[in-house]
Amino acid sequence: MIKNVLGIETSCDETSVAIISDGVLKSNLVSSQDFHNKYGGVVPELSSRAHLQIMNPLVKSALKEAGLEFKNIDLICATAGPGLIGALLVGLTYAKGLALSLNKPFVPVNHIEGHIFSGFLMKDKPEFPYLCLVVSGGHTLLLIVKNDLEIIKLGSTIDDAAGEAFDKVAKMLGLGYPGGKAIQEYAENGDENSIVFPIAQLKTEYDYSFSGLKTAVLRFLQKEYYQNIESIPANELNNIAASFQKAVVDALIKNVKKAISNFEFKSISLVGGVAANQKLRDEFKKIAEINKLKLVIPDLQFCGDNAAMIAERGFRIYQSGNRFELNANAYPSLPQDVFQEYSHR
Amino acid sequence: MKLPFVSEVISETETEKVAKEFAHLLKPGDVIGLTGELGSGKTFFVKAACKTFGISNVSSPSFAIVNIYNGIEKINHFDFYRIKKAEELFDIGFDEYFDEHSITFVEWSEMFHQLMPAKYYQVNIVFCNNDKRKISISKNE
Repeated sequence: MIKNVLGIETSCDETSVAIISDGVLKSNLVSSQDFHNKYGGVVPELSSRAHLQIMNPLVKSALKEAGLEFKNIDLICATAGPGLIGALLVGLTYAKGLALSLNKPFVPVNHIEGHIFSGFLMKDKPEFPYLCLVVSGGHTLLLIVKNDLEIIKLGSTIDDAAGEAFDKVAKMLGLGYPGGKAIQEYAENGDENSIVFPIAQLKTEYDYSFSGLKTAVLRFLQKEYYQNIESIPANELNNIAASFQKAVVDALIKNVKKAISNFEFKSISLVGGVAANQKLRDEFKKIAEINKLKLVIPDLQFCGDNAAMIAERGFRIYQSGNRFELNANAYPSLPQDVFQEYSHR
Repeated sequence: MKLPFVSEVISETETEKVAKEFAHLLKPGDVIGLTGELGSGKTFFVKAACKTFGISNVSSPSFAIVNIYNGIEKINHFDFYRIKKAEELFDIGFDEYFDEHSITFVEWSEMFHQLMPAKYYQVNIVFCNNDKRKISISKNE
């Protein structure tokens, strides 16, 4: 009988540990620079060593917050990929070592599947089958989730991820980091119809492309302001941010609408770091209302990389009857056979 | 293709042709540094070159730092864009990716040129206007 599930996530920049007890999230800690200052001193943001230094203190803090001890853990789940190999190995190896020493089962979890099922961390959960849009710094995927084990990939980005476009355009405009938040703030005071940036037209029905859009913003800046961002008037900066944001959201939404008209769904879910974007959330709300679909967008703490979604997904895999040896290895890329491919006509 | 190579291209199709011709020179163990401003088409060049190795799932590694593709050859596709300090690269085992079994592309290689191996191919893409690009390829030894 599984009662307490430990989740560990170290695929990229954040170290995160979570505990779910009887389906209730008891702790979901994400490492911050504060935490590093307390335990390891200042470390580079992007570092396997940073994960290593923080791993054990973070697990102990999570156990404390949940009112548990190591011996109370019944299932251990950790991200196996995709991500940076060095970073992944820290969490994965720690988890396997813990499983061995506690003699408890271990489940390796696909980070993207963690995002896909992050809606189940909410009180109001997705109902199968649901359409899921995964939007983050590294991934943009549109999927049909039929059940826990059957996921069909409709489309993905052929170049840059949506989050990457936000970050790069924010940098071009000198708006700071993280780009998504900065663009959204400037966009609030801008006119989103002032500049028309192009939406890529692709041959494949449900794929995305954001490289051309990024370049279009750059060319606009070169043409209008000779790339001197200091010379851009404040209101124009707002307009550029708003128009760019509209182009990204429109592109994302276009394929979502297409999928809804071509397939039957009970719910729609928006997940990943870019799901924090308010305009995108608003558009999803509209679509859900018009099509009378249940909408599940996870709380902000479950949108960015977090271990709660890894614990949730790992538990679901375990409950489906899957068992794993301790020889699971880390993998850098999303395996091509992990989702069923939708055959394009 | 003879190096050093310099050519002006006026379409994605032409860029693809150059990238594919260049790819035929490559063998496992080779490292390629790509330079050129944002939006000049570095990722596009890698994508086109990788088609030669039967790889069709190339996307930008800016966020992930490195993507790995398995085709006729194993390809490491790095992007230094998001790296702030050289020690971050050492920490993720950057140098361990260079081996005799794989071909490694590095976007924004000029940011940490001191970390590039002694011998590598240099691809520079200069944006001229709309669709026009100047592509220069040389071998640094």
